[in-house]
Amino acid sequence: MSEAKAAADRLVKAKRLNALLTPPKELRKSLAAQAAAARPTGVLYGMPVAVKDNICTLEFTTTCGSKILEGYRSPYEATVITKLKAAGALIAGKTNCDEFAMGSSTEHSAYGRALHPLDKARVPGGSSGGSAALVAAGAVPAALGSETGGSVRQPASFCGVVGIKPTYGRVSRYGLVAFGSSLDQIGVFGRSVHDAARVLSVISGRDPRDATCEDRDPLRLPTVPESLQGFVIGLPREYFPADLDPAVRRACDRAVRLMKELGAAVREVSLPHTAYAVPTYYVIAPAEASSNLARYDGVRYGPRFNGAGDIRALYRATRGAGFGPEVRRRILVGTYVLSAGYYDAYYGRAQQMRALVAQDFRNAFDRGVDLLFTPTTPTPAFKAGEKVNDPVAMYLSDIFTVTANLAGLPALSLPIGRVKGLPIGGQFIGQAFLEDEMLEAAYALERAVPATEEA
Amino acid sequence: MSVTRDDVLRIARLAELEVDEEGLPALVDQMSRILEYVAQLSAVPASEGTKPFLPPGPDAIRFRPDEVRPWPLAAGPETIAPAFKEGFFVVPKLEQFEE
Repeated sequence: MSEAKAAADRLVKAKRLNALLTPPKELRKSLAAQAAAARPTGVLYGMPVAVKDNICTLEFTTTCGSKILEGYRSPYEATVITKLKAAGALIAGKTNCDEFAMGSSTEHSAYGRALHPLDKARVPGGSSGGSAALVAAGAVPAALGSETGGSVRQPASFCGVVGIKPTYGRVSRYGLVAFGSSLDQIGVFGRSVHDAARVLSVISGRDPRDATCEDRDPLRLPTVPESLQGFVIGLPREYFPADLDPAVRRACDRAVRLMKELGAAVREVSLPHTAYAVPTYYVIAPAEASSNLARYDGVRYGPRFNGAGDIRALYRATRGAGFGPEVRRRILVGTYVLSAGYYDAYYGRAQQMRALVAQDFRNAFDRGVDLLFTPTTPTPAFKAGEKVNDPVAMYLSDIFTVTANLAGLPALSLPIGRVKGLPIGGQFIGQAFLEDEMLEAAYALERAVPATEEA
Repeated sequence: MSVTRDDVLRIARLAELEVDEEGLPALVDQMSRILEYVAQLSAVPASEGTKPFLPPGPDAIRFRPDEVRPWPLAAGPETIAPAFKEGFFVVPKLEQFEE
């Protein structure tokens, strides 16, 4: 009981970050009730885990950071929530995010922007910015987020915590509100690789309720390796462009040096279609979003913004008033690229390019590379307001993360240094369903790298 | 590829999305920029023979038996619907069919 109170106190203390959408009173009451009911034998017994607000919970509302789902209480819960509770974890409230997970800064939330825990003028990244900020602030040891194009790794990098996106199909998406169904995957934040991996292991594994979830056992956690002897790490040259932020480059160079000292073989590789990944993503993701978000129409759930006129007037008024500007833009772009006359030029071409991006990775792995190492983001956390009115500039902050989503591969970001006090993240991209290898390398680098020192 | 005001209004109708007059010029401008940005894909040579991507995931699509099973919800639709009466969602009528 007292642990539930301590967890609630830590979360309420972080209120200034606007990272948690659950009101304090409701949070305290629910945590106390959950702690009383939790199974003491569970592997995560008593561990508070905050959850991004696009994952359905029975305990709290699920708004996806949108007005169109204000007050919505799901009549069922996500499989990942059922698994966490069965392991004894406490669902520690719902975290702020970009509306429907569309954004890279948490500025596109209908409930106000979340703040970076180290500099309130800056963004925590996004779209799972609230989850990253709470873990970084020490309010929870771990949190769930979701990824469509980097929405766990990018905020993890900005906030200086660990973020893991598993292989597509590793974790059930049942109860994750759909955005881009061929890309979406639930991911995990932790203060350490081990905290994140522990939670990932619990939520992974088969689920008859999600046909895209693979019929596999839960992920088994590797032990911390003594060295990186035998590992071949590829550095894709397209991820280290001439105009890369110098501090980000220095931090990556240092991490690579440390991995070599640990015995890893490091070699340069090429992923030639990288430059086309962001435009590919910004055709496919909006196309899938325009279809997935057709369900929000003011009829079956969520608020109805105008009851007058005929039913199409109702749809248009509800959607027009309920969706924020970025979601509206993506629905329109998605509808456009799927419309007659444009389908082949945009969507058809993007699907081909997606195949080429995935093939780039296969080629690198076929040549004996075990893992790729890259910066997670081109810069540290940017200032609030800097990119919010320039969609393409915002999209480009995902340039190093979208590729793993397009190819369905597992990837992880961990802190590898700082510049002027702001965290810098390094990224591993692994082979499909070989999260264990990726975690081994991350354990080893985490122990060696001075993550809070200037690069 | 830039879009016109009429293009945006037509797409908004297809998407059942109300767009206000006030925000329209900015929306036309932003959509044009996004579409111009993604149009670089059509400038890429030699992707003619490339097969479209198939998402990873299950090796083969798994089917479950086609049987009615209760997957109980914690609450019925009446608790989440904006308007619900006698087992039905209540909506305004469709005035006229639009092409």
